Amino acid sequence: MQRSFTGSEILLESLRRQSVKVIFGLPGGAVLPLYDALYSAGIRHLMMRHEQAAAFAADGYARVTGKPGVCLVTSGPGATNLMTGLTSSLMDSIPVVALTGQVPAALIGKDAFQEADTVGMALPSTKRAFLVRNAADIPSVIQQAFQIAVSDRPGPVLVDLPKSVLMEKAEASYPAGGGADHPRRLREWNEGEIRRAVDMILESNQPLLYVGGGVIASNASGELQEFAELAHIPVATTLMGLGSFPSRHPLSLGMLGMHGAYATNTAVCHSDLLIAVGARFDDRVTGRIDGFAAHARKLQLDVDPAEINKNVPVDLALVGDAHETLQALVAEIRRRDRLSIRPERHQWLQRIESWRNEHPLEYDKYSNIIKPQYVIEAVSQIASEDAIISVDVGQHQMWTAQFYNFRQPRTWLSSSGLGTMGYGFPAAVGAQMAFPDRQVIAFVGDGGFQMTLNDLATIVQYRVPVKIVVVNNRSLGMVRQWQEIFFEKRYCDIDLNFSPDFVKLAESYGIRATRVEHRADVSEAIRESLSDREPRLIDFWVDPTENCYPIVPPGASLAEMLVGPPQFVLEEEALDDLWAV
Amino acid sequence: MQWLLTLESERDPIVICRLMNIFRRKGLSIETMALASKPEGYSCITVVDTPGTDIDHIFNFLRRTEGVSNIACYRHEPSAAASFLFVESNDHPESINRILEAFPESKIIFASHGKYLFEVRSASHLPPNISGLAEPGFLPLSRFKTSREHSQMELVGAMSS
Repeated sequence: MQRSFTGSEILLESLRRQSVKVIFGLPGGAVLPLYDALYSAGIRHLMMRHEQAAAFAADGYARVTGKPGVCLVTSGPGATNLMTGLTSSLMDSIPVVALTGQVPAALIGKDAFQEADTVGMALPSTKRAFLVRNAADIPSVIQQAFQIAVSDRPGPVLVDLPKSVLMEKAEASYPAGGGADHPRRLREWNEGEIRRAVDMILESNQPLLYVGGGVIASNASGELQEFAELAHIPVATTLMGLGSFPSRHPLSLGMLGMHGAYATNTAVCHSDLLIAVGARFDDRVTGRIDGFAAHARKLQLDVDPAEINKNVPVDLALVGDAHETLQALVAEIRRRDRLSIRPERHQWLQRIESWRNEHPLEYDKYSNIIKPQYVIEAVSQIASEDAIISVDVGQHQMWTAQFYNFRQPRTWLSSSGLGTMGYGFPAAVGAQMAFPDRQVIAFVGDGGFQMTLNDLATIVQYRVPVKIVVVNNRSLGMVRQWQEIFFEKRYCDIDLNFSPDFVKLAESYGIRATRVEHRADVSEAIRESLSDREPRLIDFWVDPTENCYPIVPPGASLAEMLVGPPQFVLEEEALDDLWAV
Repeated sequence: MQWLLTLESERDPIVICRLMNIFRRKGLSIETMALASKPEGYSCITVVDTPGTDIDHIFNFLRRTEGVSNIACYRHEPSAAASFLFVESNDHPESINRILEAFPESKIIFASHGKYLFEVRSASHLPPNISGLAEPGFLPLSRFKTSREHSQMELVGAMSS
């Protein structure tokens, strides 16, 4: 006779069968039976201080491992608090499995205490949302959830678990196969299309690779590098694509788009073939669409057919996993003999280099006031090659994208599509749980950090040695920059001078912390902070007037980017200097 | 521009909710819709108005949506190239008989709540005495895209009322 188990026990066994090692969560009434079973389950649980942070931590774990991150919260407010995190994961195609408690099945729809329509709310924020009706269904639902999360274009999946289901006893039958180890991989291209794509590539004089997070999701960085080197094609990455191609590689152009470098955006404008790989022609990348790569034929590689022709029409689409598709392109180019690569490619690369020399990414390196870019470059030079970098949202995020030397994939965590302030710190916690021995550094702004800094308690409680770098400009810097440039300096509610003393705050949690106000002290503070395996915080007081350039103004094309302050800002600054004299 | 979409979903009603939400978010103007229930799931047929530039994306978005399967998309084809006919005949069931008489080899692909989708041989065979095809409620169509391999099995709705 088969033994019966509670729904909670069946759930935990299902999670073990998906190789889940850690869960990020927060207990509450509806999930009490599950936490009771978790007490002796052998799966590690980190109690985060807010459900949104639990979702971000699961997202961070997933980004660095490629495996689904798991978060667990209670019903009602626990579930509603989760939604921002899940939406962020959906936008960035990150595999997360969210487990939410629900009121007992008999009370669903009766407006019971802490009841919310979690599955209904999760509809637009997840790939799929399940409500489990019977404990016996848990194994197959969990298996489906993990498989859906990692299949094709990855994303979050929610499983809503009524308390009665968690308590009910059932005989469990665990289906073989499936789950996260058996992702589905869509492939719709045929050999003829691969040949056509290679024709386009070989005919092009000025090709450009435009690479997004899809390359990282499909673990195709090696194939990308092989392809780029074989065909002599420069590589521009999106914010999500950072790390997919080494930043200092001779073919690397860094990030394109709204804060892309001059050479990168100019190369997009002059390219005659744009090869998009795992990228979705996001508005922050394209600027005004009719000006985006207007002279280029377009070849798009994407696993999601819905991305084809969504924002920008393409000449040829190869729908499939980036890893497999790039392999096929490399094989076809090799078959044709690499000597067929046009010599014009070298002239194209030289032209790009001249644009790079014309307007490099730069800032005042000798200012005694700390420039935020200097902090990022210093961390980049001192941190380990495999350090994991997590960022919040705003100016510091863009400066990190511009100035950090990314050497390998799955080392960059950023809420890129949704742009969620408060993401950086809890995501770093998730990443550190995946790799306890690697350096994990969270760059946060003083604005975003205040949205999730309550998890300082979490890193102390569980001894998670995340290093927090506060890029403190005493304002909502990106908003201030926009108000300065595009709203005639009508600064409205961007002042963060009334923030807490982050050093004292960290110390009150038992975290060693230091404030740095002079450029000369930056490197030593970073070295000292990275020297141990404890959580640390450095509060860098940076130039509050520094702006992030280049910037593509709203509604403008990439060609219309501002590489520095517009004339009226320069004139007003000159007047200010005059008055100061 | 008018398009007709047919699709099937799993039995979980949340998938249909997701579908409605996708239609709303993608800005599809729903002109008519029928939903039929089967033991294994739901089948849905809907006529929408949306620019031709968007339909590729919508078709692909629907076909990769979890829980949704077997999508077909037909474009309004007011010419001899039409090979499908959508009929709404809530109040005039005799119009169905007229279609069946005019196209004896036609196949009913979907029938539910007074909404019918026929596959006909070709509108070029249209007998001149069949009137009313230009009236509201008759929509000649040609297949634009399908995720199925065999047109005959594109979608079989519940044969009700």
